Amino acid sequence: MRRFIPLVIAAFLTAAPGLAIETVELQNDSPLVSIRILFRTGAASDPEGKEGAAALTAAMLSRGGTQDVAYDEIVERLFPMAASVSAQTDMETIVFHGTTHIENLEEYYSTLRAMLLEPGWREDDFRRLKDEALNFLRVELSSNNEEELGKELLYLKIYEGSPYGHHSIGRAPALEALTLDDVKAFYAANYRQGNLVIGLAGGYPDGFAERVAQDFAALAEGSPAAVELAAPTRTEKLRVHIIEKDTRSTLISIGFPIDVVRGHPDWPALKLAQSYFGQHRSSKSHLYQRIREIRGMNYGDYAYIEYFPRGMYLTEPQPNLARRQQIFQIWIRPVPPENGMFALRIALYELNKLVREGISGEDFESTRRFLKKFVNLLTQTQDGELGYALDSQFYETPAFNGYIKDGLDALDVEKVNAAIAKHLRASDLDVVVITKDAAGFRRALLSGAPSTIQYASTPPEQILAEDKIIGPYPLEIGSVEIIPADTIFE
Amino acid sequence: MRIFTALAATIALFGGCAGPPVDDRIFPYRSEIRDLPNGLRAIVVDTGRPDIVALYTVVQVGSRNEVEPGRSGFAHLFEHMMFRGTERFPSEKWEEIMQEAGAQTNAYTSDDRTVYHAVFSKEDLEQILELEADRFQNLAYSEEIFRTETRAVLSEYNKSFANPFRKLDESLRDNAFEQHTYKHTTMGFIEDVEAMPEMYDYGLQFFDRYYRPEYSTVCVVGDVDFEQTFGWIEKYWGGWEHGSHQEEIPVEPVQAQAKEFTTDFHAPTLPLLVVSFQAPAYDDELVDSAALDVISFYAFGEGSELHKKLVIEDQTVDVLAPAYYDHRDPYPFSVIARVKKPEDVEAVREAILATFEELKSELVPAEKLDAVKSHLRYQFALSMDSTAAVASTMAHFIGLRRTPETINKRYRLYGAATPEEIQRTARKYFVDSRRTIGLLRNSAEGGEQ
Repeated sequence: MRRFIPLVIAAFLTAAPGLAIETVELQNDSPLVSIRILFRTGAASDPEGKEGAAALTAAMLSRGGTQDVAYDEIVERLFPMAASVSAQTDMETIVFHGTTHIENLEEYYSTLRAMLLEPGWREDDFRRLKDEALNFLRVELSSNNEEELGKELLYLKIYEGSPYGHHSIGRAPALEALTLDDVKAFYAANYRQGNLVIGLAGGYPDGFAERVAQDFAALAEGSPAAVELAAPTRTEKLRVHIIEKDTRSTLISIGFPIDVVRGHPDWPALKLAQSYFGQHRSSKSHLYQRIREIRGMNYGDYAYIEYFPRGMYLTEPQPNLARRQQIFQIWIRPVPPENGMFALRIALYELNKLVREGISGEDFESTRRFLKKFVNLLTQTQDGELGYALDSQFYETPAFNGYIKDGLDALDVEKVNAAIAKHLRASDLDVVVITKDAAGFRRALLSGAPSTIQYASTPPEQILAEDKIIGPYPLEIGSVEIIPADTIFE
Repeated sequence: MRIFTALAATIALFGGCAGPPVDDRIFPYRSEIRDLPNGLRAIVVDTGRPDIVALYTVVQVGSRNEVEPGRSGFAHLFEHMMFRGTERFPSEKWEEIMQEAGAQTNAYTSDDRTVYHAVFSKEDLEQILELEADRFQNLAYSEEIFRTETRAVLSEYNKSFANPFRKLDESLRDNAFEQHTYKHTTMGFIEDVEAMPEMYDYGLQFFDRYYRPEYSTVCVVGDVDFEQTFGWIEKYWGGWEHGSHQEEIPVEPVQAQAKEFTTDFHAPTLPLLVVSFQAPAYDDELVDSAALDVISFYAFGEGSELHKKLVIEDQTVDVLAPAYYDHRDPYPFSVIARVKKPEDVEAVREAILATFEELKSELVPAEKLDAVKSHLRYQFALSMDSTAAVASTMAHFIGLRRTPETINKRYRLYGAATPEEIQRTARKYFVDSRRTIGLLRNSAEGGEQ
């Protein structure tokens, strides 16, 4: 077998001749072709009272019929190719993506093109997809997925009153009231040439990229008006939101907005700090070691500086969730209810320690070495590489692997600790708790009484000694509210 | 096309081109198998992709081996214990080396296998082979650490507690099986999970029985040098001692009469309906299980007539999915539907049963089968998009047959699933006496305890 040789080493950004459409190309000689059609718009552009329009519009394109072909026929066409057109709607990006074998490129692309450019807007597709969106919010998220619910509520609370202040799928009553005209209006206003980026990767023929750009020039010129994002207001003390739910465990998410997104001078430093403190699904990270490995409190404990939905199913983040505003977040996976208060305290205690003491030179070096190699795994598929290339275009940064490696090379431990001190904090935070006995949790929060932890076996002496410090760790409570689970998306 | 020529040829063949096959292997990578004298199997695969290597160690032990009462979930707990270190490489040291390598590491347990995997840069291969060989031979942990880890496993059970599909799976297995250990899920019965802190001694026995070379296959996949890699495997894994345990898995009798069950779920959910038939184990020689795979796509997949009717036209169902997973022993063929309104459950059930009847009474059009076969081939080709993906897919088949050649054999069997074979298979398995129908719902009167 011949080695895989990229024909185009780096992603390049072009505008097709005479057109304003941006294209990101990663042409190589793979037999697979990945396509990502990205629009710089999203749920943050949902008109007020019509929250859900962005996601439902994207669903109508990716899972509805075209002018000429009904949806069931599209499914039948794509089935023998094992191909699909998936849509992902986030606050500021909507991406349509799929991969096909090159033998099917013509048929796949012509189907995708018609789906995106000649939507059928059928009433029965609309009814089906609206039902699905409502069931997602009211049944799947509210009732059947506690981990995702807690993390999503944290975002809703931090961004209350902001264009980011509703779930990307929408708000249930607004979704219910949406009409077919609403999604057509969203399409007309937001699917334009000026906010479109076409991403292609794989062994597609020469001239293909130009042809795609020509086709998409059928969209209206210009761009939708930019959505204004005010800086989120700083929470005072601890603002605790407790979701009362019939559950066996207590789940905790903690967070606050940060000023740092990819492209910010401190992003590599903060990325390193986050990786050290709570690399997703890594058993080496600090939080995981202190909470799970040593104490056996739960399944895992992580930290983030970028939005990472569906984390319970994924070991790596998905691309094309780029945002102009991000939060720092800690995710404590389910703990037994009797250890819930202690879990909150240990998370805040460790965060406080990170902010006060920073990280050691040794941890700095080992985390940096880890990240420099780990980044190669994030872009090991061509579709992943394409997704990251589109994100680099959003953030106006160099290609991701180089950006992160160069950024890490320029760091030293002092710079990382300065970034931690500047951007992270252990006070003035939002906390989301999901638990069965909400009133009991509130009482425990407000009582100021020290927390204890139940162990399956007695841990070493120095851990017990540390527990005595964590137990009474001071919690400055600003407010506590109890929210019934079935009201969150209403 | 300059690379993946074997794959392209395969797909062209199945796309309907005439002429003799040049190479009909769906798994196109150069691979070699060597068996060590201690019973360990080593497989090295060159994916033709640069720099990255995946190490997958597949142990043929899973919840299927949990034969003693009260031990359900133990194989999965033991997977956790394997990360607790040895004298030479305590867990902190193991973590540190993997971190230095920038490795992505994890493990999973299923009914039939436990798989330990790491993906990393090729220059770290020797060190990681040595590190992994050490824990499979010299695992050592205290009773305190064992007890601590059992609580992480309980938390893992609890994190999916709100998921009604998990509960449906638990209920279906418990009802469909009488004797075989597939009766319980890999997570195990909750009462067994809660009792795990007291099972330290059983853990020692479990390690002694199953963590042996004759149960294990070491797969190194990616940018590899064959001779060097086999040399390292022999050097670090060659001293592992062969065990003596003979597994005895209870045989499930052929089901004699139809069963039905209802499960109350503790939280609000849409009703979940499952229609299931006792079906055969994975096979790469007999066509039956491959034919059932083809049926699952043709009759119940996204492109099926039933999907069109229930999901797109009537819109009474929002999830319709076949579930027939490859297993070493016979496992049910199921169709699961999430029904939007409780009053439509009966009609949905009738529509699903009518589809099973039709498979027996009418021959499937040959062009529809061609579409399914094309789908299966392209699905496989599209999924092979990284070294990690190739290794992960391979691990599934290694757990079943200990050789990647089974993939080629299996895909040839798909080609042999003619309309007549489909009908024969349907008539053999989709009979009332083999059937189990279950409904999960949230009722105000009762809930899960």
